[in-house]
Amino acid sequence: MLEVGYSVPRFDARSKVTGEEKYAADCFPEGFAWGGVKRAGIAHAKIVGIETAPARALAGVIAVLTHQDVPGTNRQGLVHKDQPVLAAEKVRHWGDPVALVIAESRETLARALSLIRVDLEPLPGVFDAEQALRPQAPLVHESGNLLLKGEIRAGKGEDALGECEIVVEETFEVPFQEHAFIETENGVAWQEADGTICMHVSSQAPFRDRFEIAHALGIDPLKIRVSSPYLGGGFGGKDGATVQCLLALAALNSGGRPVKMSWDREESFVAGYKRHPVRMYYRLGARPDGTLHGLHCRLYWDTGPYAHLGGEVMELGMEHAGGPYRIPNTEIEGWCVYTNNPISGAMRGFGVCQVSFAFERVMDLLAKKLGMDPLALRIKNGLRRGDKNCCGVTMVHSTGIVPCLEALGRHRLWTERDEWKRSAGPFKRRGTGIAAVLNAMGYGRGLPDSAIARVELTPEGKIRVFCGVVDMGQGNSNAFLQIAGEILCQDSSCVELVHPDTGRTHPSGSSSAGRTTYTYGNALIRACEELKAKLFHRTALFLMLDEPRGLALAPGAVRHLPTNREVPLAMLGKSFPESDRVCISEYVMPVAQDVPDTGKDFSIGFPHVLFSHAAHIACVEVDELTGKVTVEKYLAVTEGGRIINPQGFEQQVHGAVGQGIGYALMERLMMKDGRILNPDFTNYILPTSLDLPDLDSIAVETVEPTGPFGMKGIGEVGINAPLPAIASAIEDAVGAAVNRAPISAACVLHALSGRERANDADGGVQR
Amino acid sequence: MRNVFQPESLPELWRVFEAHPGASVCAGGTDLLVKMRSAMMNPESIACVDRIPDLRGITTEEGGMLRIGACATHGQIVSDPAVRRMFPILVRAVENLGSPPIRNMGTIGGNICTASPAGDTLPPLYALGAEIELRCKAAQRRMLLKDFISGPGKTCLRQGEILASVRLKPPEGYYNNIQHFEKVGQRNALACSIASLAALLQVASDGVVLKAALAWGSVAPVVMTCPDAEKELIGKPLTSETLRRAAAAARQCANPISDVRADRDYRLEVLGNLLMRLLEVAPESAPARDY
Ligand SMILES: Cc1cc2nc3c(=O)[nH]c(=O)nc-3n(C[C@H](O)[C@H](O)[C@H](O)COP(=O)(O)OP(=O)(O)OC[C@H]3O[C@@H](n4cnc5c(N)ncnc54)[C@H](O)[C@@H]3O)c2cc1C
Repeated sequence: MLEVGYSVPRFDARSKVTGEEKYAADCFPEGFAWGGVKRAGIAHAKIVGIETAPARALAGVIAVLTHQDVPGTNRQGLVHKDQPVLAAEKVRHWGDPVALVIAESRETLARALSLIRVDLEPLPGVFDAEQALRPQAPLVHESGNLLLKGEIRAGKGEDALGECEIVVEETFEVPFQEHAFIETENGVAWQEADGTICMHVSSQAPFRDRFEIAHALGIDPLKIRVSSPYLGGGFGGKDGATVQCLLALAALNSGGRPVKMSWDREESFVAGYKRHPVRMYYRLGARPDGTLHGLHCRLYWDTGPYAHLGGEVMELGMEHAGGPYRIPNTEIEGWCVYTNNPISGAMRGFGVCQVSFAFERVMDLLAKKLGMDPLALRIKNGLRRGDKNCCGVTMVHSTGIVPCLEALGRHRLWTERDEWKRSAGPFKRRGTGIAAVLNAMGYGRGLPDSAIARVELTPEGKIRVFCGVVDMGQGNSNAFLQIAGEILCQDSSCVELVHPDTGRTHPSGSSSAGRTTYTYGNALIRACEELKAKLFHRTALFLMLDEPRGLALAPGAVRHLPTNREVPLAMLGKSFPESDRVCISEYVMPVAQDVPDTGKDFSIGFPHVLFSHAAHIACVEVDELTGKVTVEKYLAVTEGGRIINPQGFEQQVHGAVGQGIGYALMERLMMKDGRILNPDFTNYILPTSLDLPDLDSIAVETVEPTGPFGMKGIGEVGINAPLPAIASAIEDAVGAAVNRAPISAACVLHALSGRERANDADGGVQR
Repeated sequence: MRNVFQPESLPELWRVFEAHPGASVCAGGTDLLVKMRSAMMNPESIACVDRIPDLRGITTEEGGMLRIGACATHGQIVSDPAVRRMFPILVRAVENLGSPPIRNMGTIGGNICTASPAGDTLPPLYALGAEIELRCKAAQRRMLLKDFISGPGKTCLRQGEILASVRLKPPEGYYNNIQHFEKVGQRNALACSIASLAALLQVASDGVVLKAALAWGSVAPVVMTCPDAEKELIGKPLTSETLRRAAAAARQCANPISDVRADRDYRLEVLGNLLMRLLEVAPESAPARDY
């Protein structure tokens, strides 16, 4: 039986494990051709000419297209439309697409791409956000390198730091991060006889894709149909067009044949989106008793050559720049800047992951300076319901950071930490570190966060959920079937799912922002309740009841409890026309009612009002001989309201911590003049199962009254804490500050030798 | 189009070589296929040697010599009782190589013929003084492994010749009672070595080192041995003082590069530091000094 609150096995587990499940990458329609892209191969240059004749002349080449063949604006982008489908005058990063080829086979495609000559006049490039703002910096766009300057201010702003007895100050840097999904960007598109472009694509936002394609190519958005099956991972990297506009362009030029495009791993690295690198200047001030009083920060976000969601990522980061704390006076400044680096955009933690490192590190600095216990300092200043956050927005929904920290404080990893540290073996040092984080849910003000659910009783008596929001692997569709099964009392064999398809399902927003289960789940609850009422009414007709009372749903039937008579769902399903077997309902996420008089630079997305919270502790062991850091033990305490599926919850926590450990210790994109030197999994190092600790996970189950069954989204919050917690633990172990990620063994070894080797005759090595 | 042959015997293999002199040998393919995908190699034909009985298996020969067929997979080596008993150092190196699927496919012969300074079987095999057996249609020859590898990716394998086996002499009398291997990589699996150390020591019950053989991976164009460092150990008690002197000698001897995994300075520091770990490794059973 599908009960909410219970670890119902995932519906997709079996088909995914056996390989039966078909991803977009598994779609090979009859008679398809291959599409592929010629990329710049230089970070910044003027396009003088594109020689396509030799490629066109190659047997098996169906079309070679350049910017001249792009109808419409040739501009894609979600909020700012600044990214060409095919570059025209300039290339602005290494992976910029210059020509699109359609060919009979992959081999011919590769050969044709190698025959295209792009005549480029190199331009000086700029590869650092702050340098890009200097007056003499090369211009990535004519309009200047500043995409967006934002400011959030509360109370007295920066001036309050003058009133603080204690001020700590530090600069932090966080790197690019690759989404590294297993299924790279891919899809298939074709044109129907009536001119409609159909696309089956690995996308987090099929409904929005139509508008992006339509704008770029000058087509009617309603003549585009996009469908997305399960994704082999997304993490934000498929939120916004990847292959979509290129595929639509190909479909317009393939003579009606389907065109398949699938980036290989290297192309995914070079052309795909990344997490924004950020440099963060922080100053945090407090009173002598540890009460936070003022925060000033300047944040420089490198968005690469195109906006993607750069402004929105920066906005969310700035909104979280003060962490889960009560800070009455804040001044948070941000610059989102164009460079010739790879394109940065949405990624799990969406700006929050970056600032979490900075605010948790300055909290540690402050604790040290105050001589205060870092946990006590956090609990003292932790946001409680009714408090205002660092933007001046009142927390009116469930606010669980203090319960998370208290649960952490009771856990043996915290209470027994000194003993654990003392028992380090030879050549090992141990340290522990904590981090408290939060993550907003939903789109924020200015962009209604809505979903429309459709649920149907099929003629066979099954419950069919039409889901308009993608499942990229996080398990939201599982939660949806569980919700439908719970309300309608059906087991897993009686519920089925229709994947997002702009032709069959209703627009329900992107799979992102911790909103997916919350928003669609709420809409679905309403639709299921309506269907239930309808089934009761129709059953009453069958049973000749005076009124639809005493009825209950049972597996496969509606039962009249007083008489134990049943009407099978299959009978109900066959008795009524489709229009009567369907219920559709919608939901819009609540927004902040006390919009502060700040953050005016953000056209959408400011502020948010619903947050999930987490407190993590990392216990690390550092090897003195190699600098190697091992995360030995780890605890994640997560507050995200009630839990629909404990296993799904755990999987999100584990995945987020694993990805966060990679971000903290290993994942380093190596760049030279805008070129990625390690665009593959041989040298871009992701953690393996042997690099991850056994993870303890505790759920602090608050109730979020607005959430479906009291839940909130927790897919993102867990990735924000590993880096600051691990950095803090390393600092605890080696006694040197860690302000930059990823934290390599070399830099830890350096810190160790810098501190001790110099004056300790025994080389810091004791037996 | 590419020809792929699967000879079942050496004579069949020689016929393939005659008909296709440019054929590339493929054992587990875990190096070859990577090179082909990245267009570093594009052989016109491939001869898979993994079905040839003469190249397979792990056997003890007369005189106690252990013969490991070139096509023995890492998985087979790790689970072989004789290897585990006599050469735990090799087991330690191989059990961390790649990942389970790589160990199930990859072979010791492939690791040797790839001749990467980062090849994980190489430091233990150098320290053990491994000998190899080469075969071609007309002849068979043997040589020390260290003479076979001449540079990064370079061996003295001739056209039409294959590596048939690796031979390890059983330790005389007492086993080396310290058999230590450590690899420094960027993660705990699927990691190319940044620096590695294989150390074979005979330590007497009073703590004095009787014999020492050391070999490092990834710190020089080929696996590095360093008699100077060994000399610092032999006849001395195994203390941090002794090891620090050996480490200094090893750093003198090394010539590491900077690459995407680590820079030269890190490798230099670590290759010496790795010796310090020997303090931690308890000798298995200590022979008397007068042995
Ligand atoms: C994901 C991954 C992880 C890896 N991790 C490691 C690691 O941790 N440590 C490590 O050392 N290596 C690692 N490798 C490299 C590789 O797995 C090993 O070098 C393995 O031992 C190669 O064996 P093979 O049988 O697959 O070689 P193949 O690819 O079949 O052959 C390699 C080369 O040797 C030649 N060759 C093979 N056998 C013979 C023979 N009998 N006679 C003559 N020539 C021959 C081939 O022609 C080819 O040039 C890794 C590889 C991958 C893909």
